[in-house]
Parts: sequence; C-alpha cells; structure tokens
Amino acid sequence: MMRIAVKGIGVTGGFGCGVADLAAALKGGISRVSEITVPSAQGPLQMPAFRAETERLDEFVPKRALRRIDHYSKMGLLGAYLALADGGMLGSDLSRLGVVVASGYGATATTFAFLDSIIGDGDICASPTHFANSVHNSAAANISIMLGAKGPSLTVSQFDMSVPSALVSASQWLAEGRVDAVLFGAIDEVSDLIGYLQHRQRGPQRACPISPLSTGEESSIIGEGAAFLLLTRKDDSLAYCTIETVDTGSLYQEELSFPDDALLLLGADGRRELGARYRATVPGHSRVACYTSIYGSMPAAAAFDLAAAALILQNGRVYPIPGAAGCDMDGIPVPLETTRICALKLAGINEYAAVTLSRLQLP
Amino acid sequence: MDIKNKLKKILVEDLNLEELTPEQIDDNAPLFGEGLGLDSLDAVELVVLVQKHFGIEIKDMEEGRTAFQSVNALAAYIEGRLAQ
Repeated sequence: MMRIAVKGIGVTGGFGCGVADLAAALKGGISRVSEITVPSAQGPLQMPAFRAETERLDEFVPKRALRRIDHYSKMGLLGAYLALADGGMLGSDLSRLGVVVASGYGATATTFAFLDSIIGDGDICASPTHFANSVHNSAAANISIMLGAKGPSLTVSQFDMSVPSALVSASQWLAEGRVDAVLFGAIDEVSDLIGYLQHRQRGPQRACPISPLSTGEESSIIGEGAAFLLLTRKDDSLAYCTIETVDTGSLYQEELSFPDDALLLLGADGRRELGARYRATVPGHSRVACYTSIYGSMPAAAAFDLAAAALILQNGRVYPIPGAAGCDMDGIPVPLETTRICALKLAGINEYAAVTLSRLQLP
Repeated sequence: MDIKNKLKKILVEDLNLEELTPEQIDDNAPLFGEGLGLDSLDAVELVVLVQKHFGIEIKDMEEGRTAFQSVNALAAYIEGRLAQ
C-alpha cells in the first residue's frame, strides 16, 4: 500500500474539542462523562454518556448557515474544519479534496425524530429538513458543500468496521491520484435510541470508568463525537505520522500476526463479548495500549484511536493507559516509547482490522 | 396566543432562526430574500409547518406565493382559510 501522511487532526468528543484537548485528556487519563435521561416504556432511564460540543463551529461558519444542520452533522463539520485548520489547508484550494465519513449508526437522533413525526402527524407533515438530515450521507454532503470540496464524497457504514473500511477507500483515492488530499473521519452520536439499546443490551449503567483491559468485565459507556484526519500522499513535508497498511478481514482458524516492533493500540471499549476476543487475539507479551475510556464506546472510536496513535507517534511517547491496573490480558500495558503502532479493531464474531502507523523518519 | 404570534414562534423555533426572537420579527417584513432571509427550502418547510400547526394544506403555488409575503399576509391567509 502507498504510504499516507497524516497532516491534520480535528476532533470533538467527551474530552473536549481540538487536538490540544485530546492530548491533554490522553496525558491526564481523564475525560468528562455526562448523565443522560432516555425515555423508555418502563420510565426514564439514567445513564452515563460521553457528549460532544460543537460551539467552536462558530469560529468557522456563520450561525445562520448552520440552522438546517443537526448535531450529528455539526460534529462532523467541526471535526473537518479543525482537521483542515490543523493541517494548514483552511482557505486553500479544495478542488482536489475528497471526503470520506465513517459512521456506525448515522444520524440516529434526527432519523428517529423524523420517523416519530410520521407516526405522530402523518407523512404529509414530515419535515423535509429532518428527512435531509436523516440520511446516512448527510454529514459528508454538508462537509463537502460547506467546504467547497470538489472531490468524491463518500459515507461508509459498516458498524464497528466503518472506520477501517472508510480508510481503505481514502487510501485508494490517494493511490489512484483521484485526489490530492482526503478528509477522512468518523462520526457517531448519542441519542435516545442508542441509549435505549445500550440499556437493553447491557443492563443498568453505572458511572464507573471504562476498564477496557479488564476484558471479563462489562464496563462500556456510550460516546459520541467526530474524529477527522487530513490525509495526503507521503511527501517530505511535516506530518504527524504515516499510515503504512490497512488490513481488514475475517478470522476463522488462522491467527493474526503483527509487526514485532509495534505497540498494539486496542479498540477494546468495555464490551465484555469483544473483550474476550481481544484477550484471545493479542499475542502474549505484546505491548498494548487502549484509550477508549477517553472517548467512549461507539463505532467511530476507531478514528479516535488513529488520532491518538498519530499524537503518540508525533512525540514518540506513549500516553499512560487509563485503567491499566485491572488488565487481565497477556499484553503488557506500560507507558513507553514507540515508533510504530498497530491499531487493532475487532468486531462481531470474527471481523478484524489492523492499521499500521509509523513515526516519520526525520532527515 | 394569536395567529401572528404563533407564526412568529414557529418561524424562530422550527426554522431555527436562532439570532432572532419572535418579538423582533416585523409583521410586514418580507419572509423571503430581504427581510427574514428565508429561501426556497424554508418555503417547503413552511408549507408543512402550516399544515401541522393549523391543519391548512397549501396546494396552490399562487396562493402560497401571496400568503408567504409576510407574517401579516400569512396570518390573514390562515384566518381566511379557518373561517371557510
């Protein structure tokens, strides 16, 4: 695979907004968990959730231009603008910029508000604006339109594998020369529906930190946010790091192998059933890290993992791993230096994705 | 709440005119272009909102064009239709 440079990062999530907030949260191992109330047939349900703010979008777009854009798309827009600004491309010619957005669930709040309005008021009173925002590619469309990006605009939705699949498309566009840069990112949002599903699947929620490396324990907390990377073909200019390979597939009998010198950045997020898979998949004595307790459990978390990996590779130092004390894996969760990271994402019964990133070789 | 005030509240809240309060909307100001600055997508949304909140279906484009001149015009149109 052609080497790709990560030139900019734009993030918003429970930890705050922007690269500095993410770096501070990773350094301190602390993020902000809110409490949400979700309606259900049994009465209101209280549960913890990582919520993202979008106020900083005012720095980039007039308020009036945002009035038809919902929270889901606003998170994406903010991530996209922040990544462009961070990569020094804000205000540049974007005629050869592609946009790829990954989302596990899409704009669930608007989608279900739209469906509720049809049930409540009939299809003739369904809001056209809600409909436009309810389709999965609304965020990618809003980003491309608002930025004036003329390259291809794509949305990829494959639940937990959405991020690596989208990254495959982004790298392909760059390899083919269809674009000079790609805004690659992921968005997922907390909504009544996601909260209700969390309750149904995982039972009453506790406001305890996620312990992703305590793989026998259920500790997931739903999260929302957007994480965008500005990607270009590798050149001699400054970048956070390079992306060397993106492998996705299904595991049956075979075992995954990883580069010997790579730190394994695990996408474990407190879901017990996946925790068991990580424990079985990670080779003994691997060096592992995991930061989902900073941004929460959501399909888009895999893009936050890539942003965290890029920050680590930029300065060469691994951030402390929150909740490392409860680790029940063979891997060794200790802060150390690294020049290569393999971000491992497991999903379902046998799906996997491994993205290998490397520190830039300075001249 | 009378029809004019209800309309102003709907405009601000349902069309997300966050920079305005209902009281700041001039009864005679054009809704589209200069004035409130609404656009064609708002016109579609407004047709739906009038039906949802007042039970009035605007089917005729010419009728809509006249009704959507201003808050006063729209309130008069709704009052007229409700009286039929």
